[in-house]
Amino acid sequence: MSCDVTYTAADFKSDLKPVWCPGCGDFAVLNSVHRALVAAGCAPHETVVVSGIGCSSRLPGYVETYGFNSLHGRALPIATGVKLASPRLTVVAVGGDGDGLAIGGNHFMHAARRNVDIAYVMLDNEIYGLTKGQAGPTTPTGDKTKSTTYGNPDPSIDPCALALAVGASWVGRGFSGDVKGTTELMAQAIRHHGFAFLNIISPCVTWRGEEQHKELRTKMRAVPADHDVTDRDAARQFCDEGEGLTVGVLYDVTGPSLLDELAEIERRARATGAADFLKAFRPAAA
Amino acid sequence: MKNEVTLSIVGSGGDGAVVAGDLVAMACAGRGLHVIKTEAYGPQIRGGESSCTIRIGTAPLFAQADAIDALVVFRFADFARFRSEIALVDRCLVLHEPDDAPPDVLTSTGATFISVPFAQLAKDAGAPAAKNIIALGLLSAIFGLPLDGLRGALRKRFAKKAATVVDANLRALDAGIAHAATLNVDVAKLAEHSEPPRLLMSGNEAAAYGAMHAGCTFFAGYPITPSSEILHLLSEWLPKSGGSCVQTEDELSAIGAVVGASFAGAKAMTSTSGPGLSLMSEILGLSSIAEIPSVIVNVQRGGPSTGLPTKSEQSDLAHALYGSHGDTPRVVLAPCDVEDAFHCTVEAFNIAEEFQLPVIVLSDQLIAQRRETIESSSLVHDVADRRVAVLREGEDYRRYAETPDGVSPMAIPGMRGATYQTNGLEHDERGRPASLFIVHEQMNAKRYRKLDAVAQRYPLFRRFGSEQPELGILCWGSSSGPVREAIAEMNAGGARIAAFVPRILAPLPAAELQSFIDSCERILVIELSYSAQFHHYLRSIVDLPRQRTDVLSRSGGKSLSVSEVIRAATRLVRAETLREVLA
Repeated sequence: MSCDVTYTAADFKSDLKPVWCPGCGDFAVLNSVHRALVAAGCAPHETVVVSGIGCSSRLPGYVETYGFNSLHGRALPIATGVKLASPRLTVVAVGGDGDGLAIGGNHFMHAARRNVDIAYVMLDNEIYGLTKGQAGPTTPTGDKTKSTTYGNPDPSIDPCALALAVGASWVGRGFSGDVKGTTELMAQAIRHHGFAFLNIISPCVTWRGEEQHKELRTKMRAVPADHDVTDRDAARQFCDEGEGLTVGVLYDVTGPSLLDELAEIERRARATGAADFLKAFRPAAA
Repeated sequence: MKNEVTLSIVGSGGDGAVVAGDLVAMACAGRGLHVIKTEAYGPQIRGGESSCTIRIGTAPLFAQADAIDALVVFRFADFARFRSEIALVDRCLVLHEPDDAPPDVLTSTGATFISVPFAQLAKDAGAPAAKNIIALGLLSAIFGLPLDGLRGALRKRFAKKAATVVDANLRALDAGIAHAATLNVDVAKLAEHSEPPRLLMSGNEAAAYGAMHAGCTFFAGYPITPSSEILHLLSEWLPKSGGSCVQTEDELSAIGAVVGASFAGAKAMTSTSGPGLSLMSEILGLSSIAEIPSVIVNVQRGGPSTGLPTKSEQSDLAHALYGSHGDTPRVVLAPCDVEDAFHCTVEAFNIAEEFQLPVIVLSDQLIAQRRETIESSSLVHDVADRRVAVLREGEDYRRYAETPDGVSPMAIPGMRGATYQTNGLEHDERGRPASLFIVHEQMNAKRYRKLDAVAQRYPLFRRFGSEQPELGILCWGSSSGPVREAIAEMNAGGARIAAFVPRILAPLPAAELQSFIDSCERILVIELSYSAQFHHYLRSIVDLPRQRTDVLSRSGGKSLSVSEVIRAATRLVRAETLREVLA
């Protein structure tokens, strides 16, 4: 990260107009992204925002950094490649719940367990919005959607519970209605050394109703001040909450990231001697 | 004296058949002999039957031998598995343990059976585990293979073991040599030969080395037979030169990471086989539309689905050419042999970097896992780099700006004043999503225009044989080896046959190919694809007159043999030529 120039949120705003529906939670999250990049000390040209496909995956276009709007579910593999190839870049992956938990679920697990040095922000609206209203992995059981005419038969996933289970070293939950709190969480996630997962509840006004936003606001409460963020079991108490919506940092530990491990591997490899790649293929002197 | 000899060693786990093959191949490479070594295994993860076949010649070799001159079998029960794959020459020498009776299928061949107490000789030499080395000593003495080279190869192989291990193996070698003198076998020896040493490499090793030569700094892959050696080698090599090698959770992730790394400026590659290529076709399309360089080495095996994981076939062609939805320009290269796997891999990087598109190297199991001798001086190839944007102050950077050849200079994240969004959605010159017909048409044209430039710059093919062919053979990849030997043999007998072997399959060198076809009286297309994918593809690009064209297309699972090519070609050459060939 370069700190020779001070950037403002305006520097991170692109002039592209979002395609989102009026009232969508994603507008507020975008606002948080612009502010968080400033708060985390990022420079636009040294930041890459990578997304998959879905409503929220349009986000890179609205941020004036390098951006990669990739394929459904594939933001994390691509973000991993970007970070490993160019470690000085700040890499933020964004996407929705369907993108990250359904089609991209396998990548989520492995990016988390490898502790790859990226911040992954999931904008969770409990629905497939772009394809116009089908049930997703976070849609509550029993909900009637376009694809679950008689009610959703599947249990829903709490993305934070999953992130904790598969080894994310930083896990947080935010709410789009709380721009200040979400901005702080996002800045922390970006600064975190290793894989940071931030689940942001971002209601869909079109397919989940106008009222959900207000309901969530009443449910929202902060992580208790005495919560030990290094205690994974304690963090799990704030998952699958049912009625509540606890926002804040649930889990935060420091360990070697994938880049640290690869640097160590390079050290070991170089210690084995000079690179003579053809040696094994050369016959011995008779 | 003879100019070539082919040996097979068959054993089960712990017999060291494959190690023995490695040693003799290395010893011969050290004397500048030409070697092609193939291996075959049973399905067991460890142990089980294995065989190793080594063809050794004083002149360049292009294919496996059709039949072997000598067979060492430690246990005939192990041989049963390979019976259909190993053909014996008349009076082939079969060396076996005294208490192991040869099966009827062998005794009926006219082979010469010699019983050798391998295990006892090894025990007597104080090296009970070294019956494979006893066999090596025997074979080398019988056929006049380089003994000094074998001693050197043994010392190198066991360099990390105790001196007593090396000594025991050297004693076993000498015991084998001494035993040969007692057998009174009268066969022609390999002609004396001494040239500078050659390298002994497999196609996978050559491809991995090609990646290093091209300046690859990032590799991501998922294990799959028969391509995994590339992953193994790059996991060893890349960290030594500051690059990264990662094993991902699947092939989707592998090519995803490659495309991400390439977007960030790295020369990046993945390798896989058919089932992996199927998964990769999704992000291959992304690499194409987003114009991000990527290199995929696809080592073909029998398909579809899991198919024949350990055996070669040429049936991923259609997928490599067309796989992925939409109009998806990509480049497909096809190496003809081990050395060419190096050149094609470097060329794949050159084309990918220069033209910002996905390039597939279509290798196959036969090239990838056989070891053959190559000149070390031949492992050089020009390296090209990416057209990176150079920004002037205040310039309005457009990532996908229109250019005459379709290639738009690429900004790399980290560069000031060039932030842009890349996209799997159709996009305008700035990379912004666009769904207007006119933009889609313009961008398709821009992306396809790059292939015209590739076709002009890289008309890669091999042509060999007669200058005025009565028969022209069209083939690709590993099939070109047996075709080349068959043509040499038939033309020596008076036939006029030539072959045209494209090394770039997309875009095909169409003009050169068409003029070759027009110069031939008859055409024979040869490929290891049951549905004749190559033949159908050729028809879609060039004018291939039906009444003058024949096709030899069959399943893989068994490599193309020289005699098979000769049989097919013989039916198509003129009667007067045929008489000369047969005479």
